[in-house]
Amino acid sequence: MELEQIKAIIAMMRENDLSEFSIEQDGLKIRIKRGPEGFQQTVSIAPQAPAPAAAAPVAAAAPVSAAAEVAAAASEAAPAGVKYITSPMVGTFYRAPSPDAPPYIENGRTVDEETVVCIIEAMKVMNEIKAEIRGVITEVLVDNAKPVEFGQKLFAVRVK
Amino acid sequence: MFDKILIANRGEIAVRIIRACKELGIRTLAVYSEADADSLHVQLADEAICIGKAPSAESYLKIDRIISAAEVGDVEAIHPGYGFLAENAHFAEVCENCNIKFIGPPSSAIRAMGDKVAARETARKAGVSIVPGSDGPIDKESDALKVARKIGYPVIIKAAGGGGGRGMRIAHNDPSLVKAFHTARSEAERAFANASVYLEKYIENPRHIEFQILADRKGKVLHLGERDCSLQRRHQKLLEESPSPALTNDLRKKMGKAAIKVAESVGYINAGTIEMLLDASGDFYFIEMNTRIQVEHPVTEEVTGIDIVKEQIRIAAGEELGYDQKAIEPLKHAIECRINAEDPFNNFQSCPGRIEFLITPGGHGVRVDTHVYAGYTISSHYDSMIAKLICYGRDRRTAMDRMARALDEFLIRGIKTTIPLHKLILKDPNFRRGRYSTAFIDRLLAASQPLVPAKPEESSLKSQAA
Repeated sequence: MELEQIKAIIAMMRENDLSEFSIEQDGLKIRIKRGPEGFQQTVSIAPQAPAPAAAAPVAAAAPVSAAAEVAAAASEAAPAGVKYITSPMVGTFYRAPSPDAPPYIENGRTVDEETVVCIIEAMKVMNEIKAEIRGVITEVLVDNAKPVEFGQKLFAVRVK
Repeated sequence: MFDKILIANRGEIAVRIIRACKELGIRTLAVYSEADADSLHVQLADEAICIGKAPSAESYLKIDRIISAAEVGDVEAIHPGYGFLAENAHFAEVCENCNIKFIGPPSSAIRAMGDKVAARETARKAGVSIVPGSDGPIDKESDALKVARKIGYPVIIKAAGGGGGRGMRIAHNDPSLVKAFHTARSEAERAFANASVYLEKYIENPRHIEFQILADRKGKVLHLGERDCSLQRRHQKLLEESPSPALTNDLRKKMGKAAIKVAESVGYINAGTIEMLLDASGDFYFIEMNTRIQVEHPVTEEVTGIDIVKEQIRIAAGEELGYDQKAIEPLKHAIECRINAEDPFNNFQSCPGRIEFLITPGGHGVRVDTHVYAGYTISSHYDSMIAKLICYGRDRRTAMDRMARALDEFLIRGIKTTIPLHKLILKDPNFRRGRYSTAFIDRLLAASQPLVPAKPEESSLKSQAA
């Protein structure tokens, strides 16, 4: 999907007063939501698709590949039955879609693969991160608005 | 001056850049892949951010993650080191767009010189001799044959999209040209995502002489003298020295002027290197320009006393070069040996592994640039260079004796290295006389085979199996 096509979609949404648009093609899924602050774009890409180049104002985001890197850290064994949702990118971690909205999830919440658990903002693009595993959130490991690095543990999940 | 810099690299050059920053009072942010969590550059930096998995394409080449890390870390500038994104014009542009200073030349200069075919044309227009060759890239086998016959065999095929010896093939006749043309193209495609190749007359047994350039934003362009990098294997440099035993003062002046002219013609800023070939009759030809700091920069630093990495940072911060060409002169003779984790007597097979024991040489006139330490495991994901040993002294004889002494002291246990090969080079009578060309290493290797007998157990096993 080219930047021009994304811009065209946004223009069309504006003209026709649409608030949400999603499309899936060639292993690429794009969902564009129009909220009070303007357009938010989330992109999820199937593993085989090529990554778009980064950085323009209404930009193609960095590909959000599988967020559930589920391995216990080599030095500290995870408690039995606990896996971690880790960060697939470098950026700033947010618990909620906007400052006054409630957090996506809290401790005790049951999640499945498609549940959005947080946002990581990178280069002005808000990327919705999915759980990619099934279980119950037992711990939130990063504070709101804190920077995260690749592979950093975000949530502890008790898996069934 | 910058307050904080992100180093977009790893290994010894990341350590080198962090050292320069520390001395300038600049805070450092390192980025690293999961395989480099224990790396020295991560330990030395003030802060570090993990940017991905071990493969370079998933970490050190990820422009978006590096820029994210730069924003999260609130840095003002990025030093790209060498390799990775150092000569990626798009990356330089992204930095410019994100208001982060790229410590290097403008993206336009990177582009101009990154296209090796266009670079030849630029040099030619600047009045500098280039090696006779194709006027542009060659896409068809039939064109390759035409050009080769016109300029005369032997010829060398080179990748238009990058250097470092990749996508290079020599051909002595039509059949080998056809084969070489296709192999070079596929290698170039894999290395640079650009199959474009061009042809040059292959100059037999040249010396590879390169000139270090520094240029500031006010348009002052200086050269810091030459480095003789003729000792290569498969177009990879093994040993470099300065001054070159082959250059007279007159030739140095001429070549230095030519190097400056080429740099000026692309509006160059910051550090760069002009590579040239010197043939047996004393004629020199421009082959390419590297728009980055180079591996062998310490040779020039020890000869001139100028800290090139610090100058890079200063120039990027807007400072002017505070001296003129007249002030630059060779104060020492310096030699650098690249120590790789490879077995020189087993086809340079790479030997990643854990360094069990390490003693680095020291003393007067010895410098070791490395990222390894005892207990460190060399990963198989990145290049095999583990250390640079630089020895210098008041003249070439002193530098050579010092290098031979330092190589004897350099102990690395746990992996095989190219130290034994360097010892052979330093003992070679032709090397000691300064008489060598790019053919030297292959000849030395061929001649040294009998010096490495097979272990008795190995031969008896082989004869039993036969």
